[in-house]
Amino acid sequence: MNKYIKYILLLLAVVLVAYKSVYFEKLSERKSNNTAIAFDATAFSKKLWLQQFPVKLDNAVALPVLMEAINKSSTTAFTQYTNALAVGNYRYALVKLDAVVTSVKEDEVLINVQAGDSVLQASLATEFIYGNSIRDASGLVQVKDYPNTSDLNSISEALNKIVRSEVLPSFKSAVKKGNTVNAVAAVELNKEHIHWQGLEFIPLRISIKQ
Amino acid sequence: MSQNKIDIKKFQSLIALLLLCIVLGLMTDKFFTAENGLNVLRQVAVNICIATGMTLIVLTAGIDLSVGSVLALCGAVTAGLFKNGLEFPSSDLFVGFTMLGAILAGLLLGALIGWINGFSITKFNVPPFVATLAMLTIARGFTMLYTKGHPISNLGKDFANIGSGTFIEIPVPVWLAIVVVIIAVVVTQKTRLGRYIYAIGGNEQAAKLSGINIKKVKLIVYSLAGSLAALGGIIVTARLDSAQPNAGISYELDAIAAVVIGGTSLSGGKGSVRGTVLGAIIIGVLNNGLVLLNVSPFWQQVVKGAVILLAVIIDKLGEKKE
Repeated sequence: MNKYIKYILLLLAVVLVAYKSVYFEKLSERKSNNTAIAFDATAFSKKLWLQQFPVKLDNAVALPVLMEAINKSSTTAFTQYTNALAVGNYRYALVKLDAVVTSVKEDEVLINVQAGDSVLQASLATEFIYGNSIRDASGLVQVKDYPNTSDLNSISEALNKIVRSEVLPSFKSAVKKGNTVNAVAAVELNKEHIHWQGLEFIPLRISIKQ
Repeated sequence: MSQNKIDIKKFQSLIALLLLCIVLGLMTDKFFTAENGLNVLRQVAVNICIATGMTLIVLTAGIDLSVGSVLALCGAVTAGLFKNGLEFPSSDLFVGFTMLGAILAGLLLGALIGWINGFSITKFNVPPFVATLAMLTIARGFTMLYTKGHPISNLGKDFANIGSGTFIEIPVPVWLAIVVVIIAVVVTQKTRLGRYIYAIGGNEQAAKLSGINIKKVKLIVYSLAGSLAALGGIIVTARLDSAQPNAGISYELDAIAAVVIGGTSLSGGKGSVRGTVLGAIIIGVLNNGLVLLNVSPFWQQVVKGAVILLAVIIDKLGEKKE
């Protein structure tokens, strides 16, 4: 008898724990509810690109101006001209630049940028557009608005895709060594270790001077 | 005279810990603060959970190299079930998990993995080192498959409290570690299972001849160690509010180090959970002290390795004298 009571109590405990542990819903209903509130990063980024990026690109700082400002007072310049979502030394800026193409490679275009008295050797990324440079440089996306990190990453992914598919193909097919180009580009800068030579720019608007 | 020697050996971990604390206290004024003390305890809580399970295994003359990967897998599964539940499209069914349900599922998964370790060791006579080394890779692979290499984040405030909350000013992970240690001490010191564990580690053949079901005891021990690694995984996940697919890498080494420094013999049969707790705290204090003293992370690894080696040498010298 004692044995049976023990088993019944054990069974009751298992049922109680299971009752408190799982719940059931219809998958279709749950999905339709979730779809209504799911974040569509592609649509959001497209809207951002078409409606808010043009103004940001028009008002981007010229590279020589940024360099001079940083040389004068880096703290003020980084606050005024750059953005970053993460904590750390890396900051991102949108810059206007004029450059001469020195070499066209499979995944990048090497350029010389005239900045004041100096000539910077740099590159334009034309194939591998990854990371958060575009999103962060724009300053249009704030961490506090997105409790879900994957949403933030999806925005970067969508913006990178837009640049890969809409900005770069026509440039890649037309660019030749010796061309002069005008661009507005995103660039990553390490505020503790500033190296102006060898920077990589991601073009967001680019044209070849005829 | 002999009695005195045994007493000193019994307390050597405690003496080492006290000496370490005194030296660090003299070298940096930030060491002896309540905040730092709680910080150290919070950090060692996970290792105490894992190392307690490891102690039970080492006492049976076994070893478990898979605990770090089990920690990652169980942490990920707990987070995944809690956040995303289970979907069965063919039945149009969604099974959601409450926090309790997800935690229980994680602990059960840990126990199951431990049981598989024990099964391959006892049924097929696979050496524990090899069986658990294989499980280390398998569990890590499953973690990557389950998470697709991405963290599972934003698990909510209630879940995060398990890792970063406090109860009576003491961090919740510390309370969990205290409960684990009390249960483990009672099991090893006051129960038949505990006596069997020591007997198997002391002389497996003699234990077998005296009628102990060695396979059953080992299965229980490996399952317990698996579920304790899972508990560690749940704490780590809650503390980060995110299940990281690469969590727990090299945690098995910290656990083994805690066991060895705590005086448990790797050949089995000798040692205690209390010793392991001291071992885990010594490693935690050492880590903390080296950080406070701004020692390079590369040197920290060297120092930690040297301390473990020293502990084993002292243990072996003691055994020879005996």
